[in-house]
This record gives sequence, C-alpha cells and structure tokens, in this order.
Amino acid sequence: MLRANQISFRYPQEGHGLSPISLNVERGRITLVTGPSGCGKSTLARCLMGLIPHLYNGEMTGEVWLNGYRTDEVPMWQLAEKAGMVFQNPAAQMLAPTVEDEIIFGLENLGWAHDEITIRLETALTDFNLAHMRHRNPQTLSGGEQQRLALAAILARQPDALILDEPLSMLDTTAATELIAYLQKFAVSGKALVMFEHRHEYLDGLPELHHIALDGKERETEFLSANLSARERFKLNIDQLQVQLGKREVIQNLDLEMNSGQIVAIVGRNGVGKTTLLRSLAGLQKHDGKVTVNTAHGNETPNFGIAFQNPDLQMFNASVRDEMLYRLPNPDLNYFRWLISALGLERYENTPPLLLSEGEKKRVALGLVLMRQPAHGLLLDEPSLGQDQLHKTILIRLLRTLADAGQLVIMTTHDLTLASHADRLILLGPGGEVIADGLSDAVLNDSSAWQKSGILLPDWFLRGRMESQ
Amino acid sequence: MRVSPAGRSRQLALVEDSPLRHADPRTKLFLSLAVSLVVMTSIERLLIFLAVYVLFLLWARLIIPTVEHIWRLKWVLILLFFFDWWLISLDHAILICLRLILLTGVFALFFSTTNTRELGLALEKLRVPYRYAFSLSLAFQSLGLLDDEWRTIREAQSSRGALPNVSSFWKFITNVGDLISLTVPAIVLTTKRAWAITEASYARGFDSPHRVSYHSLSFTRLDTLLVTGTMILLILLFWRR
Repeated sequence: MLRANQISFRYPQEGHGLSPISLNVERGRITLVTGPSGCGKSTLARCLMGLIPHLYNGEMTGEVWLNGYRTDEVPMWQLAEKAGMVFQNPAAQMLAPTVEDEIIFGLENLGWAHDEITIRLETALTDFNLAHMRHRNPQTLSGGEQQRLALAAILARQPDALILDEPLSMLDTTAATELIAYLQKFAVSGKALVMFEHRHEYLDGLPELHHIALDGKERETEFLSANLSARERFKLNIDQLQVQLGKREVIQNLDLEMNSGQIVAIVGRNGVGKTTLLRSLAGLQKHDGKVTVNTAHGNETPNFGIAFQNPDLQMFNASVRDEMLYRLPNPDLNYFRWLISALGLERYENTPPLLLSEGEKKRVALGLVLMRQPAHGLLLDEPSLGQDQLHKTILIRLLRTLADAGQLVIMTTHDLTLASHADRLILLGPGGEVIADGLSDAVLNDSSAWQKSGILLPDWFLRGRMESQ
Repeated sequence: MRVSPAGRSRQLALVEDSPLRHADPRTKLFLSLAVSLVVMTSIERLLIFLAVYVLFLLWARLIIPTVEHIWRLKWVLILLFFFDWWLISLDHAILICLRLILLTGVFALFFSTTNTRELGLALEKLRVPYRYAFSLSLAFQSLGLLDDEWRTIREAQSSRGALPNVSSFWKFITNVGDLISLTVPAIVLTTKRAWAITEASYARGFDSPHRVSYHSLSFTRLDTLLVTGTMILLILLFWRR
C-alpha cells in the first residue's frame, strides 16, 4: 500500500533530515515508527504523504509509492485522495471557522455531490462524537477534541492510508486511549496506518503491530551530578485562588500548600485549568485570592521561573549559548557548563536554537529559565512533550537535583510515568477541583480518584507499576 | 510585570441574533463599500448619515460590538482630534474622527455578522479565484490568533527578563533593538502557523481541480431591501454635491 525505497532527505540549510530508509506499510495493521528526538520521524512522515518533495525544497533520494502512485510524479491532490495525514499539533491544522466546516473542507476538495458530502459529514460527526459541537470554533476545543476533529476531517474522506505524526503527544491518557481504539478500528477495516510516536507504550501489545525503530544520531548523554548551593526552606501558600477566563470560572477557591525541596506533579484532563494554575503562580494570570511564599523572614512574593509548552515563544538568539546567557549581568559560567551538559545540549552550544528539534528546543527553554536561578523554583508546563525516553530520564534527574537543592518544582503533565517520579501528585477533577493530593504512589494507587477525574490509568501503566513493585 | 486577562481573545464574536447574520455576505460587502464611500462626503452629510447609521446598527443589534470596537481606538481618536484641532481646525478634527469611527464601525458590522467561510464564499462568487479567496478568509481568521500569540510571547519574554523596556518614547527609541526578542518569536510562530495550515490544506486536497462548494449563497428579500435602501441613501447623499 505504502512503500518507501531507500529514501533520504536533506533540508537545504539545516544540513540534516532523514538518513536512507526503506519501509513497507501493509493494510490491516498498524505500523509504528519510533526513534530518538531529531532522528527524522516527521521528515519521513512528510515523505510518505508526498508533502516532501511537493511542498519542501531539499535533496531527496529514493522513491515512495502510495497505492501505485510514485509520490513525486503525481500532484498532491491525487495523493491526498489516497492518504490522509494528521499532524502533531491539532490546533495548528484547523483552518475553518466551525467544526462542521473543518470536515466539509476536505470533502469539497474530493468533488463529491452535495448529498454525499452531507452523509459523510453527519457520519463523521456521529462517529467522532462531535455532533453537539458542530457549530463551535475549532480553536475553542480542548486538545483531545481538536485531535478527534483532525482525525474526523481526514477519515471522512475515506483514505486508504493514514499517516499520523505524534498524535498522542498532547493528549491525556483517556483521550490517547480513545484515539488508539479509533485507529485500531481503522486498521482492522483493511486500511494502512503508519504512526510516528514517542509514547509507544499505548500501542505495545496490540495485535498486528509492526514496530520500526529509527536509528538516531543521539549519543548517550551522561548526567553529571552537581552540588547546587542549598536554598533557604520556604512554603508556598495558595489561598482561595480563583481564576475566571471569559465567562468560565476555571479555578474556584483553590487552597494548597507546597513545601520547598519537592517535585509536585499536577495531573488532570485537557482543559481543566492546569496551565492557568501555573500562570497564576508565575504572576502572569489575573486572579483572586493570595499566592505567597512564607520564609523564616516572613512573606515574599513568589519568584518562579516558568518553562512554557511552546519553546518557540522565547527563542530569538543566534546560538544556544547566547540564548541561555541573554541579559544575565554576571552569569555563573560553571553553572552554565553543568546545565548545558545536564540538558544534553553541549554539542549544540553554537547552533541557532531555532534549528533544533522540538524536544531540543524545549530543553533550551528550560535551560534559559534555570540560568536565571529563580529564587523559589521552577514551573514546567508539560515538560516531557516531544522528549524521547533518554531525555525524559535526564529531565527527571535534573528536576531531582534542583529539588534536592531546596527548590520547589511544580509541573503539569499528562505523562503518568513522569508524574510517578514526583514526590507529590495533585489530581484535578473535570471542574478544576482537587480530587486527590498526596504522595505520588498513594495517589496513583487510588483508583476511585482517577475514575472521578475522568483519567484512565492505561493497562501498560498499571502493568509497569506492578512489575516495578 | 503586566498581568493579562488571558482567555479573553480580542477577536470579534459573531452576533448570532443580528438580522444581518442572515443577510448574504455580498450584501454586507456592498454595505461596507457604501459606508467607505460615504466617508468622503462633507461633515453635514456625514452627520446625517451617522444618524441613519446608528438607527441601522440599533435595528441590527450591533451597537454594542461596534462601540466596543471603536472604544479600542479611543487613544488614537483623542490624539487625532486634538492634533487636527490644534494644527488645522475644529471642523476638520470632527470630520477626520467621524470618518475613522465610520470605517472602524463598518469593519465591526461586517465581521460581527459574517464568518470567514462566508467571506471566502462571497469573494469566490465575486469571481475572486478560490486560492486567493481562501487565503484572504484564512488571514482574517488568523487575526485573533495572532493577537493571542503576541500576548503569550510578551508573557514568555517578560518571565525571563527579555521584554524590551518601552515604557516611554525615549526608552522605546533607545531600546528599539531589543524588540528582536518579540519580533523573532512572532515571525517564527506566524510562519509556522502558516506552514502548518498549508500542509494541512494540501494533505486534504486543497489543490484539487475537482473541488465543489458545499455551501451556496442566495439573495433574499432582506438583501434586496438592504441594497435598494443603501443605494437610495447614497443617491440622496451625493445628489448635487
């Protein structure tokens, strides 16, 4: 169905892309492609869809065959009739003002009759549980809903092959598990499906799974331990915190206390207000209630560094070094050397950060926040997004080093493996309320709390925990 | 640090209960063009037109979004008014401000009652090639998103102390080079968004020669009334200039 013969691609300026690879995607099974950050997974996905070479300049060798068409010899619209592609960031691929228009867009391009489009539209809305939000603006949907819509818009066109580039990265476990169920149905119906994903645990054990691991040039990065100077102990007090976004009360009367020297994970479904809580702690969000830090000398205004989900918001310098040292009057260069090595960025010191992969950029964004040595600690919004297993391990060790030095590390995450390494886990319910709060192990064992939160503890996760215990 | 009321996008929301929501977008484009033409007239006629226009907005239930939209320009209007008054005359100051108010109001009128898909369809029916009609409607759709992204970039840079100090005009001039911390991420995000949309649209057959339009436009009695009424008003206003 979908076949690649020794394809490679080199972007014109960046100098890297995809090393030669051959693969065969057959009907009726899921082909999973994994590999370390920056090994060319997204490039391969674009080659299979035909976006490379149609939309990208660069040097491509080899050939890709899609349902009998050689992708570089037929126009893009003809390839799009045979295959569909869902991209990593669902919000960025929404191009219509309403949910139903988003689905209609692809159907209009097939040239089908009005009645046929109506039938396909209604079927897609029903199959993907989107009918009740058909007139909503796609940009106002949650990450899980947007991913469902992106998939509905592609599958309504009834392609023979589906290519997905990290579709699980922004989803909570419930939405991710639901998505896998949809994809299984699609593959079982005799279609070809290829998925590029770091979070392969969701697919492990599926029948008829074909797993291809791409080689990366990523070297094993050794984590250098460091003796960071210990910080003064403090307590973060959140008192009756309330946040209203438009007409919606996202956080209602939240009371929390957090001690320094801890890693705290905040877990909840997409859209329950996790990021809003972090923004409030960082002083970026208008809110009611008090957020204070109690030290031995009295109350202080919180001073946290915040690493955003999207690293592109902060990158503008000519090298990773310049980015991390920007506007620091007397930078501690020993700390810089330790940090850049701890983040696995040593070899990119003189590389422009905008040329790095998403995972690498996220580490630079974390590094530049840490270089400022915020007084009370660190706030991280989905830090494991786009990180491969190796860098997730490095991240966990880095956060542990910071917490051991007396900093408070608060992170929001969908990644339960990452959350299980935190000292404390706060589980938020569908309305943003705290459902469970305690030691990570205790909260992870509280199955009724997870049920209330609407978050599914996937089988692979439970199995892993039982094995480790 | 400036704290923003995040979640409040400055994008114009559709006024679903406005009678103009059901009018053909081509009619609304015609109304907008007519208002843009009227701003060229004299102050006396402009005041008469403004009175009619306010009545029209009341009927269309669009007074609030229009006023909100004009309110955002308050500082520009105040500056313009006083500069024109000081440098030229009071009449000229009033005329210029009225023109700007009308033009801003017409933008609010159109985008409070028309979504970007309808705009694209109207342009297509007016024989603008699909590729350009689609691009233009996407550009309007992205305006609100750009506004949100700009705000997020400011927050992200202020949290790392990289927000340029532009608290006064002099500081703005001396620190203009520091604006790179805002402009580079803005360009990167906008380019990435544009590229992501390009990929997503091509992956759904955007360039297909077989494309059909699912929605269609049709002129109703309301459209006929609106177009006729506007034409009569234009003739009266421009009669014997």
